[in-house]
Amino acid sequence: MFWKKNKKAGEKLTIFFASDLHGSSVCFKKFINGAQFYGASVLIMGGDTTGKAVIPITEQNDGSFLGFQSGADIRLNGRDEVDEFIKRVNNQGFYPIVMTEDEFQALKDDAEAQAQLFKKLVCDRVREWCDFAGDKLKGTEVRFLTSPGNDDFFEIDEIFNGAPHVGYHEMEVTELSGYEILHCGGSTKTPWDTEREYSEEEYQRRFAELVPQVKDMERCIFNVHVPPYGTILDRCPKLDKDLKVVFDMGNPVSMQAGCQALMDTITEQQPLLGLHGHIHEGRGNIKIGRTTCVNPGSVYPEGILQGVLVTLQGGEVASVQLTQG
Amino acid sequence: MAQTGGEQRIFLRKASGLIRTASGTDTFIYNLGLVSVGLGVASILFYGPAYYPGGDLVWSCLLAGVCMAMIAFGFITWTITLPRSGGIYVFGSRILPPGLALTMSLVEITAWLFYCAIAAYWIILLGLSPALTFIGYLSGNDAWVAAGAWVVEPWPLFLIGSGILVLSGIILSAGMKFYLMTQRIIFTSALVGSVILIVVLATGSNADFIVSFNQLMGPILEVDEPYQAIIASGKENGWAWDGTTDWEQTWLVSNWPFLPLVGAAFSIAIGGEVKSVERSQTYGMLGAVCGATLLWVITISLATSVFGYEFLGTAAYNLLEGVGVQTDPTITLLAGVLTGSPLVCILVSLGFMFWMWMWIPGMHTFGVRAIVAWSFDRVAPEPWARISPTRHTPVVAIIFTMFVNILFMALFVFTEFFSAIVILIEAAVLAWSVVLGAGIFFPYMRPQIYEKSPIATKNILGLPMMTVACALGFAASQFYFWTLWSDPVAAGHDPQQLMIVAGVFIIGFAFYFVMKQIRKAQGVDVTLAFKEIPIE
Repeated sequence: MFWKKNKKAGEKLTIFFASDLHGSSVCFKKFINGAQFYGASVLIMGGDTTGKAVIPITEQNDGSFLGFQSGADIRLNGRDEVDEFIKRVNNQGFYPIVMTEDEFQALKDDAEAQAQLFKKLVCDRVREWCDFAGDKLKGTEVRFLTSPGNDDFFEIDEIFNGAPHVGYHEMEVTELSGYEILHCGGSTKTPWDTEREYSEEEYQRRFAELVPQVKDMERCIFNVHVPPYGTILDRCPKLDKDLKVVFDMGNPVSMQAGCQALMDTITEQQPLLGLHGHIHEGRGNIKIGRTTCVNPGSVYPEGILQGVLVTLQGGEVASVQLTQG
Repeated sequence: MAQTGGEQRIFLRKASGLIRTASGTDTFIYNLGLVSVGLGVASILFYGPAYYPGGDLVWSCLLAGVCMAMIAFGFITWTITLPRSGGIYVFGSRILPPGLALTMSLVEITAWLFYCAIAAYWIILLGLSPALTFIGYLSGNDAWVAAGAWVVEPWPLFLIGSGILVLSGIILSAGMKFYLMTQRIIFTSALVGSVILIVVLATGSNADFIVSFNQLMGPILEVDEPYQAIIASGKENGWAWDGTTDWEQTWLVSNWPFLPLVGAAFSIAIGGEVKSVERSQTYGMLGAVCGATLLWVITISLATSVFGYEFLGTAAYNLLEGVGVQTDPTITLLAGVLTGSPLVCILVSLGFMFWMWMWIPGMHTFGVRAIVAWSFDRVAPEPWARISPTRHTPVVAIIFTMFVNILFMALFVFTEFFSAIVILIEAAVLAWSVVLGAGIFFPYMRPQIYEKSPIATKNILGLPMMTVACALGFAASQFYFWTLWSDPVAAGHDPQQLMIVAGVFIIGFAFYFVMKQIRKAQGVDVTLAFKEIPIE
């Protein structure tokens, strides 16, 4: 019953998990600081680290600058306003860059140059984050683990892999204080055709490769970016080919965007815990048999970090607490 | 900094993310439905002239509309800054101590769940009973009249009302899609009923009504010229009006349009599902305030002109006080009398019942969402947030709140004391004012969050827009707290009833502290759920 005391024996392991930060520096800093704040010994960031928009800040002939905010241009007067704007844009998960008006005009019609700029800015941000994590976690016992989401450029792998204090894992089973973690990133197919998408058949093969590596499924944590199919964790509005929400009789049609192969694997294998992200609307905590599955959701543009604190004790999930820090 | 027009200065890449579905129109309909325009018309015309003689009903609607717009303005800035579902619990928990935020939320949903029961009660009292009675009058069949009287007997009233509340639970359990579909159909039907009423009133006259009323009701009431007899007997028994506008009564009677108008801000409960949040919530909330106020002004002006202010006042006064010549003066029945048409009476009655119905699942949902949010934060038992694997709805929370609704229905029907607990609205308005008051300081106390709000750069008189909007909302909600406090008919401050209100606050705090201790024993610190993590 919900009021019963937790009498599970064994050493406690507290995990703080968050996902889908999408470039928000303020959320990332909160995430790293969450270890000390919540008393967690393990930090797991569940993918979709990278942001979605570059905001050019262009210098005008009159000395002012033009930026973009909340669907409209914004004029910035003076360096102080520009600096304040840059800070705000960084925290929202976007990538500000100051350039001349000529550079902006040339760039706006050059898709290839925009893609290169995106990758450069994304990689710069990931390096900044790795430095921040290194500074904060140096000298502590806290472990920081992460894996890629479907939106993450492959170029970030090298940066994370080279960073001290960061355990970057994809398609691996690793050990964690008497437990095991199965890391599997990316997602099933999305309407956006993002970087790391896999078909259901590919996911079946991926899990077929990973599951035999797990020694004790009862003490295994699935760190899988995509949530299991057909649950509240993967429920989201249905989109048409133009990425517009589909309506039926005036009502938005919802759909399940999770992974059936994952659902089947969890149902069969019954791991201890599933940590998921991907569907920002899918915040929740469910049980699939004995397996606790959690998606903390994401509201990164607000600068609020949605996460989940999971305490493991004696090979069982002692508590699950969704947070909004 | 200034906003300008021109080309979109942003480079986007293909990436997945949060999708919001409710448009400005959806938000408007959601709020307007929860205002329950028909309920407003019925209650203003029923209680207004009877207990507030001299109160100008049109000015009272306008006063309530302006104040509700101020409250909505405050909530608009809250929901733009924190565009998530959950209502004042989400807002309060970002700035208030967790125990206080939970208590405010509990007080609010207690009031709204109680109002579900009241709406079910009014569907029967102001919709079903008059419709049955009028059919009986026109057809000369006493069985219909008897049925109209029977449905307002305590047990039939409780059973039919409970049936309505159970139906709400079933619809919500069936899923959001089914609920929204039924609401749209009901909303359209309700609007048709209102339009029919306006057309009937616009094409009628006071002289027509007096003739029709006297012809139909004379034999039934066994009185010559019952229209004039009702007015005369009302005056003899204490109803007094000198024919001039009484501004104090106008102020007090504005409680009645204000009570349903609170629904215009209910889209704060679905903030996480609203797209283009700044525009949609602004249109949705202010549009619902303006739309409902306009419909009331039109309908009430026409109704007082056609039926006569003195007649409306004395007829309801006589009925409520049990004196003089008595007849049911609900507007649905009077519209039927005016036309002499059972069909018109049925259509207008159905329209009113549909308006009142829209309150029930809407407010029920509000309570369910809050309870699920508490459960996620571990300040309520986990089973309350359990989701049906087939329907994807929080069935446990829906069933739990449905039983709370039925309990309130029983208290409302079977006890005299609780039948007067309209005072709970005072508690809800007080809870709103606490959260709006906190919003005044939010830009200063939570700058890291506020600076990401789309309104962060907008100032009014050199102050953050949210500070000004929430100050206006706080002032307006306090104004109505004290207006309700000063009005013994709508709410008042009877000591025994105030103890009930205080009890709800105490239960809220006690519930939080008990849950906190239970979680502490389980190794969970519930205060962490909303504590902001430091950035540097």
